[in-house]
Amino acid sequence: MLIYFQQTVNGLMLGSIYAMVAVALTLGMGILRFLNFSIPGLFMIGGMLTWALVRDAVPWPLAAGAALLMAAVASLVVELFTWRWMRKADEFVPLVSSMAFLILFENLAVAYWGSDLQSLPQLFAGADWRVAGLVISVPQVAGLILSIVLIAGLSLILRKTRLGRALRTIAEDADTALLLGIPIHRIVPSVFLISGIFAALSGVLFAVNYRQVHPFMGEALGLKGISAMVVGGMGNIWGAIAGGLIIGCAEVMSIDLFGADFVDISVYGLLLLILMVRPTGLFGAPAGARA
Amino acid sequence: MNSTLPLLALENVSKRFGGLRVVDDLSFALPRGTCSALIGPNGAGKTTVFNLVTGVYSIDTGRVLLDGNDISSMPSRRRIYHGIARNFQNIRLMAHLSALENVLVGQHCRNSGLRGVLQPVNLVPRNRWREAARTALADAGLAQYERAAVGGLPYGLQKRIELVRALMAKPRLLLLDEPAAGLNPRETEELRERLAVVGRERGISMLVVEHDMNFVGALCAHVIVLNFGRRIAEGTPDQIREDPLVREAYLGVQAEPGPLQRHAS
Amino acid sequence: MSGYVEGILVLLAINVVFAYGAFLPIAAGQLNLGIAGFAAIGGYVSAFLSNNATVPVPVAILVGGLAAAMVALAVAVPVLRTRGIYLALATFALGEIVRAAILNIELVGGAAGYPVVAFIRFPTIAAFAAGVAVVVWLLFATRFGIAITAVHDDERVADLMGLNVRAFQVAAFALGAGFAGIGGGLYAHHFSYVEAQYFGITLSISIVLYVLFGGTQSVLGPLLGATVFTLLPELLRGSAQWRYVFFASIVIVVMVLRPQGLVTGVRMRRLFRDQRERARTGQAA
Repeated sequence: MLIYFQQTVNGLMLGSIYAMVAVALTLGMGILRFLNFSIPGLFMIGGMLTWALVRDAVPWPLAAGAALLMAAVASLVVELFTWRWMRKADEFVPLVSSMAFLILFENLAVAYWGSDLQSLPQLFAGADWRVAGLVISVPQVAGLILSIVLIAGLSLILRKTRLGRALRTIAEDADTALLLGIPIHRIVPSVFLISGIFAALSGVLFAVNYRQVHPFMGEALGLKGISAMVVGGMGNIWGAIAGGLIIGCAEVMSIDLFGADFVDISVYGLLLLILMVRPTGLFGAPAGARA
Repeated sequence: MNSTLPLLALENVSKRFGGLRVVDDLSFALPRGTCSALIGPNGAGKTTVFNLVTGVYSIDTGRVLLDGNDISSMPSRRRIYHGIARNFQNIRLMAHLSALENVLVGQHCRNSGLRGVLQPVNLVPRNRWREAARTALADAGLAQYERAAVGGLPYGLQKRIELVRALMAKPRLLLLDEPAAGLNPRETEELRERLAVVGRERGISMLVVEHDMNFVGALCAHVIVLNFGRRIAEGTPDQIREDPLVREAYLGVQAEPGPLQRHAS
Repeated sequence: MSGYVEGILVLLAINVVFAYGAFLPIAAGQLNLGIAGFAAIGGYVSAFLSNNATVPVPVAILVGGLAAAMVALAVAVPVLRTRGIYLALATFALGEIVRAAILNIELVGGAAGYPVVAFIRFPTIAAFAAGVAVVVWLLFATRFGIAITAVHDDERVADLMGLNVRAFQVAAFALGAGFAGIGGGLYAHHFSYVEAQYFGITLSISIVLYVLFGGTQSVLGPLLGATVFTLLPELLRGSAQWRYVFFASIVIVVMVLRPQGLVTGVRMRRLFRDQRERARTGQAA
């Protein structure tokens, strides 16, 4: 019995990582109808840069900050080459360019750091709660709480601020937004910035808590964020959290029940199932991001 | 085939979108081999009628009869095989196909099936389907645009290509949604002549949605007037022109029911 | 032919086959992000067949392609009910599932990969590539090609014109998957090894990238895209990673400058037909 509770805890911890990536993805989908395939790459940048700096004896908070900064810059570059100059192009094109960015980031990482799995040192020695026979990693809980706080903050921004209203208008109809005088060109980068930072932060949290990074971690983990996004409902931020937690738990349960080899089948099987049976996801939103 | 049976008949057809009744208990019949016009103010439901006849929308109540056969639940794809072809209010040619290839698409319903699909229309120079398409374009005076990318052609030319495409299907019933829209007077007259000739020579019945009453008057013998999804008048162009209810619909002038309404159902 | 040059040409030929595999569904308006999964099916099935039965390798490869096409056919009907981005994601999920499933089949080596005994050289591979290219070229010279493009451009009108939109989409999807399967078989029998790890999202993305880069409006586009993808990085002589960096950068730039890809359709077709007509009638340009 206890093992199931432990698995649930583990699942939620992992799920909070997926949730952040899912939020990053769902922001692009909800506001810009754009599936940003570079997000898993930014996830990886967050994680690997943190590792690289920590390896060079930079204190981990600074390393994390620098990683986020780099990711922010990278996400603005992505915006330039996928969205800004190509709003009128064929539907596939921004998606394709974002996929090219994923390949770019991954191979740059391999070129700089090699393709091996890299480990981080233990940063929070012995910081585990032991309560009721369960082991709960404090840093992971902190990460989970941080995720929820940030996502709640994002939700608030979308609902209460002028920026948020502008974003929601763009989500409804970009052309109408233009007519209303909303400076799309100045606002859209903020979407990329926010999603990029969320993705990178998720990578940082993963690096710091699970202590393993490699250049293709975006594919191994970040892409599962897509599954989380779809399960929760594209364009729905709170749905993305739910989706992330669900996928995290599904992954952990799957390892337990079927073995590690079946994880991908479970996670992507769930994605495929939802896409065919209920594509709007469990908490599906129609157009526009829901706060 | 009974030649006095109307080619197309709508019986008490209704269609609603949400709470709005776009077509309301509509009935009319199109006599064979003539050109009929469907007119009415914007929003009267004319394009919806086209979409119902072609199967783009399903009808809520009533029936659509083609040659006396109920086609109400026939899939949209099948209807062209039974002789219903149409054009579109906003031209809908295939942007990545040349003019000739767009016309070849029109032939598809006559050349489908495995043999049709593998027909080497772009490979063998004297392929008969290709030649038929080329001839059709040439007859419409469009031979020089055969290989042109349709996206880059002027509006008037695109409209003519779209008409050739529809005719290529050898329809019995041709639905034309504002075929003269955006054309200058000369082009409009050419279109009217062409439609008259085509209708006569090939025995095609037409249902035309148009706002240009001169065009309608010169081409169509039979006019049906819609407003708010209902038929408010039906008759010859002259009768319609004088009808008070029609004037009210267009001009907003309050009117007594006219002679047509007192006899109508 | 030196080993080095043969190696490049083999890669080119295989990439051309993959390119046409991705091109077909794209031409019909769908993005198959799971194409590498179908390549994996072809690779493993053909390898298993040639390892365990006395069939000529080309036959094994064709069977591999057929297997991939059958799987695609089976999943096409439910998956193609989705549209646009949902379809792209569904195919992506499909590709990952196929790969993960293969990793679990101990019969073909599981995660360790599967060695392939038979070996084929460039001439055989080139023949397959040429065969695939010719088949696609012929298809697009028939009403099939026009129908595919019509479905891509305007599904609603294509349907009203009597085209069975779903059938054409399924056909393009399954045929493309079949070609990808053939490519997987060619790969397996030249590199003497198949491992599911290789047939992942990176491969799918790369293939889709060079097809879109080459241009999807003409049958020459995939050929050009595969050629640039294979040959251009050779000029760089860098490590594999830098080649991908270079390739990805080029794609990004090209997508900004010329999103329809390098080769566009009507112009290409007109160019060739003009030349043929001039040759036939003996007229000057």
